[in-house]
Amino acid sequence: MDTLPDPETPSPLDRAHGLGSLGSRLRALLGGRWILAFLVLETLYFCFTAQGFANPSSAQMLLFYGVEVFLLAVAELFVIITGGIDLSVGYVLGFASIIATKVIDGLANAGAPPLAAVLIGAAATLLVGVLPGLVNGWLVAYLGVPPFIATFSMLGVCHGISELVIRGIYAMGLPALAADLGSGHLLYIAPGGVISFFVRPEVERGVAVVELVPLVVVLAAVVIGILAFVLARTRFGRHVYAIGGNRDAAIRAGIPVKRRLLEVYALSSVLASLAGLVYALKYVSGKADAGASNLLDAIAAVMIGGASMFGGSGTVGRTMVGCLVIAVLDLGLRMSGTPTFDKYILVGAILVCAVVVERYVEVDGK
Amino acid sequence: MNAADAGAGAEFSPQAGRARAGTFFTSGPGRALARNWAACFLVVLLVVFSLTGTNFLSVVNFQNVVHLQTLPLLLAAAQTFVIITGGIDLSIGFVAGLASVVAAKLMQLPLSAGWPVGEVIVFGAAGALLLSLVPGLVNGLVITRFKVPPFIATLGMWGIANGVALKLCQGFPVAGLPDALPRIGNGYLLYVLPGSFVSFFDKPAGFPDARVRELWRLVPFSLPFILVVLGVLAFVLRRGRFGRHTYAIGGSMDAAVRAGIDVDRHLVRIYVLSSALAGLAGVFNVFQTGIGNYTTFSSMYELFAIAAVVIGGASLSGGKGRIQGSVVGVLVLAFMENGLAISGVEPFYRYIAVGVLLVIAVVIDKLFPDLF
Repeated sequence: MDTLPDPETPSPLDRAHGLGSLGSRLRALLGGRWILAFLVLETLYFCFTAQGFANPSSAQMLLFYGVEVFLLAVAELFVIITGGIDLSVGYVLGFASIIATKVIDGLANAGAPPLAAVLIGAAATLLVGVLPGLVNGWLVAYLGVPPFIATFSMLGVCHGISELVIRGIYAMGLPALAADLGSGHLLYIAPGGVISFFVRPEVERGVAVVELVPLVVVLAAVVIGILAFVLARTRFGRHVYAIGGNRDAAIRAGIPVKRRLLEVYALSSVLASLAGLVYALKYVSGKADAGASNLLDAIAAVMIGGASMFGGSGTVGRTMVGCLVIAVLDLGLRMSGTPTFDKYILVGAILVCAVVVERYVEVDGK
Repeated sequence: MNAADAGAGAEFSPQAGRARAGTFFTSGPGRALARNWAACFLVVLLVVFSLTGTNFLSVVNFQNVVHLQTLPLLLAAAQTFVIITGGIDLSIGFVAGLASVVAAKLMQLPLSAGWPVGEVIVFGAAGALLLSLVPGLVNGLVITRFKVPPFIATLGMWGIANGVALKLCQGFPVAGLPDALPRIGNGYLLYVLPGSFVSFFDKPAGFPDARVRELWRLVPFSLPFILVVLGVLAFVLRRGRFGRHTYAIGGSMDAAVRAGIDVDRHLVRIYVLSSALAGLAGVFNVFQTGIGNYTTFSSMYELFAIAAVVIGGASLSGGKGRIQGSVVGVLVLAFMENGLAISGVEPFYRYIAVGVLLVIAVVIDKLFPDLF
């Protein structure tokens, strides 16, 4: 199967069977980039086996459908680098999707212009969305509650509040503008080479319009780009790594560890809320368990991207590769007509294999 | 996880805890109260709900709650062993679903081939139990041989078990099983018609359906079953060598190695035991519902099991925990849900209450580290 680490990936067996030189040469060649090689092979595999996969529109599609997981994975990455875990992101996403829907709907009904309603609703969602993170951070940093317990509790609280707000059904009733933003594209090319930005050109029924670059993908790319910079180049980023690498040393180095942890959990929660906002705009509704099944994908993406469960390592770029491995798998399986159940099996297997392979690459690479 | 936990808890030294707690909680009745806060809370819950909900305080309701908690109790017991070693098993919820689906599938074929019902049931149940050892074996080997953190290894199995179960049943519950299953699973030891007769194991033949509500049904079969299983597990954990090694590994892995314990081997056994108990829960589920059920994402069995174990006084950093405590944890969660429902409160408050309770449990554990 395509899912096991490909045979070129270094394994302990290489040495045991006298293939040491080949194995170590490959290791030197691929090093930390083995997961990228895996992604390429995986994509090629689906290009040949899944009908219609080898097409630019499928790349666009997997980005469009993957936006929430990309955002959740980056949220999870920051927390995992500090040595923690955030189980609440999925239900914070659902909570935020409900807040966004309710606020935008309420404002639009009260007579606010749609654009103002959407903007205020977005701001309100992010503002409310920081609260679960602040509580998580306070519990973890100041009360010493294990991250697993603190964020699982928050998962329950968010789930409960969400269901109370919507009484166990969906939140809906967004203005048309929300849908236009959620499934809109940056560029439209109508037949005859007419290009228009943001607005879908009026064409006759049945005439195909080429749509390029979904707006939500642009939004996520900008946010993730900024966070990649923050993590790699700023003092905040250095502190995050330091806390995960060695907490005691970080304290002795004068890093405000508790404050940074609070900020990291708040950031995670805001990102999950942004994902919830994106969900609300994309699917024009909000529901409590909107992100329930995304949690595994988000954590798996971070781990496949080579981060350590114990903290101190991981980058945004490699996490994105991890996300793409899962997104390509998901879309590829759908397009080859395999039931989606296979995805769970394969993600689980890739997750464990990635962590095992990562160990050997690390051990031998350094 | 453990590294993070230990780090996060660093500011709570035993001395600080004692200073905060004062003397009340370090001696006499106060100590007993703090040590058994979950049990005390359970009693308070029972009293409050007896006052607020009609028919909460009744044999029928208590029997129902305990009967419906058989699966969570088994999962919590499984999780207790794993958490005492300092690990975590996220896969048990979906392993239970997998076992349920496998048992049902294994029963379908021989049933249509005309096997006697008894053999069909035994075949399906035994097959599912055997198969449920596999996820645990894989978890244990991945954790010990490849040094994959338990969180990751069992999260992987979380996905795999779920996917395999869904693939086997194609996303639908597996029906068409022997009628005897739910009769056994939901049967009672005693059927009593007050002032008239007492009948064992089944309603007396020819008892009219119209009068079935007058019948007292006492002691569901699941009660002796779960008591025996939990009793054996509690005994193994407290009295046997297996239990001593489990606590030793959770207390200090290095010390356990130096004491000559084969830690890897023991950990594999722990994860196999955990998985087997999850399998038992899944097979019981087939008896209870009469169909094979896959586990849905929103059921979050594994997380509620962890919650119950932590409320019951275990620590995620290992070395601490008791089966009795976990049972109290499960019952607290169960009676909270049941009591809120009977008192007419919306069920959604339950999720919030679980979260708040969990945090309280951990904070109490942090404040009084020398209590347990």
